[in-house]
Amino acid sequence: MYAYDKFDHAMIDTRVAEFRDQVGRRVKGELTEEEFRPIRLMNGLYLQLHAYMLRVAVPYGTMSGGQMRRLAHVARKYDKGYGHFTTRQNIQFNWPKLSETPDILEELAEVEMHAIQTSGNCIRNVTSDQFAGATADEIADPRPYAELLRQWSSFHPEFSFLPRKFKFAITGADTDRAAVKWHDIGLIVRKNDAGEIGFEVLAGGGMGRTPVIAKTIREFLPESDLLSYMEAMLRIYNEHGRRDNKYKARIKILIEAMEADEFARQTEVEWERIKDEHVDVPMEEVARIKAFFTPPPLEVLPINAPAVEELSKKNFVFASWVKNNTNAHKVPGYVNVTISLKPHGGIPGDATAEQMDLVAALADEYSQAEIRVSHEQNLILPHVALRDLPAIWADLDDAGLGTANVGLLTDMIVCPGLDYCALANARSIPIAQAITKRFGDMKRLQDIGPLKVKMSGCINSCGHHHAGHIGILGVDRKGQELYQILLGGSGAEDASKAGILGPGFDEHGIVDALEKVVAVYLGERRKGEEFLATYRRIGADIFKEAIYDAA
Amino acid sequence: MTLLSLTGIDVRDWTVLQNGELPEEGASVLVPLARLQADADAIFKAAGKVGALIPTDTNFRDLEGQTNSLAMVAVEFPAFGDGRGFSLGVRLRKDLGFKGEVRATGPVMPDQALFLLRAGFDSIDIADARRVVAFKTALSRFKDFYQSDYTGGRALAFARHGNTGTRIAS
Repeated sequence: MYAYDKFDHAMIDTRVAEFRDQVGRRVKGELTEEEFRPIRLMNGLYLQLHAYMLRVAVPYGTMSGGQMRRLAHVARKYDKGYGHFTTRQNIQFNWPKLSETPDILEELAEVEMHAIQTSGNCIRNVTSDQFAGATADEIADPRPYAELLRQWSSFHPEFSFLPRKFKFAITGADTDRAAVKWHDIGLIVRKNDAGEIGFEVLAGGGMGRTPVIAKTIREFLPESDLLSYMEAMLRIYNEHGRRDNKYKARIKILIEAMEADEFARQTEVEWERIKDEHVDVPMEEVARIKAFFTPPPLEVLPINAPAVEELSKKNFVFASWVKNNTNAHKVPGYVNVTISLKPHGGIPGDATAEQMDLVAALADEYSQAEIRVSHEQNLILPHVALRDLPAIWADLDDAGLGTANVGLLTDMIVCPGLDYCALANARSIPIAQAITKRFGDMKRLQDIGPLKVKMSGCINSCGHHHAGHIGILGVDRKGQELYQILLGGSGAEDASKAGILGPGFDEHGIVDALEKVVAVYLGERRKGEEFLATYRRIGADIFKEAIYDAA
Repeated sequence: MTLLSLTGIDVRDWTVLQNGELPEEGASVLVPLARLQADADAIFKAAGKVGALIPTDTNFRDLEGQTNSLAMVAVEFPAFGDGRGFSLGVRLRKDLGFKGEVRATGPVMPDQALFLLRAGFDSIDIADARRVVAFKTALSRFKDFYQSDYTGGRALAFARHGNTGTRIAS
């Protein structure tokens, strides 16, 4: 993991002092709420329906056991004993007192964490593959580049007041677990014919009311030119992105309007002018950052663990958990363990302070003290020996963290919705609870197979409904909360936009409609065919008929 | 209204040339860009020093060829969130090689002072004089920066390696 040096420490300590001063000015009335708003937003502090909400960055979803323990401490001391993990791999605290937020940030700064640019019209926390550096299918660990981007984008003098928020995602693997094509800028690590590392650069993806899949702007950008190329793209966007209408201000609208080829041409022209300036850091700096991400020294172990096989025979839930919640590590005998934060009937993405402490302890004991947050709102122990799975699962299960549903229907991405969010049109959490209860039977879930359900409580799409194999969108129709169903989206390397099936349902009807969609799939699927493949083969009409005409 | 110098240069209040007026003999005047483009000869002939007052949606290329004759460019921010002004500062220094004063006017916030300095601005025309202290505090807060800029500042990545880092040729 990256460790701060004295410069990084000075940077966030200064930021905490600045924020303390700003909060002090607000509390004393020297700043109006209108003036304070952009200042607090640049530091991840929102005013929600009931209280302030503080969003803390987990850069590219990587943190240590010690950092997780500190998050648990913050939840306990300053909040109501829990936190919420988000699709940007961040954590949100829902009940901090304004006057205490500088103290929270000071405690976080001690463990090299911050809330810098977790909101506002600036470059947000860079997200990445939750298995980065620990998966067999990657070309290179993307996190050193994510850290480069983190530093470059922090307090950028020119790009802190963009037309709109700006999200980066980067992956080093061919299997896209970071939804890079749904980002303002997506980066995929590639190797060229000469075996050199570089990036495919995509831009103009995004969700919201106008879902767009990013387009390739450059097939191969040399590793050494990353920052100058990003600067060129951001400058074109900052100058030409629309500022008259916030719904048309994202880079996706600019790129659609000018077309990707023209955006690429302008980027290249600007890049030629700056690539030999001092925008890119020296190669020694890239090497310094890479050294922090050297793979941990794992001793190769047998790929069979008798204890796992034995317990699997006796315990169906454990067997399911091993099947669904673990992935192959690049070192034989190890796996990445995904800890589901989607207990059936629970609140997706939430973890209590006690659960965070447990995950921290498990990470320290079994996973090289490393934890990841996925954009699918789960936690990951990235470096676990196969033989340790029974012990880990027993501890997790005792703490309510043993749900074996990763990648299955109930492993839903869900936004906080109208229970917390000032922007929402409809509640999300109770619908998710009803769905996960209805589909809570593990045998049935596994029979349905891999299926990504994603739900948003409004068109802003924080719950990624456009990218769901099945998406659910909450809308407000004359004061009634209704839920529309969308089919056929994907956030993976085969990214696609889900299409709306038809009119919405009430909170009970949506669960029944989901049942019917699943029933159509089960009836139509070919052997071994996953939901998305079946949908792409048979189209939307048969699903439409089943949920609208049968009545 | 108070003027704050960011770079230490001497700053003065300039009169904005109103519609239809010509500058008094030898006066320093700030002229809205459209007017300057329409009346350049007469204005430059009469005035001592001429500055251009430009909106944030100005294309920097509209200033090409004029930067040698201008003593100042004042960027008028319609709102603090209009970040195009920062890119204009960068364009003036980086692309146009402008050596004169670059000034920010309009409702910029104290917390933006350092961004303005690093984007190439020399001065801020502060609307609310009571805020000068807050601007000055913000200006001296951070000592190191993660980015190089176009005013000679180098990213701290270079300092980490003794300022002798090697750029990889692409």
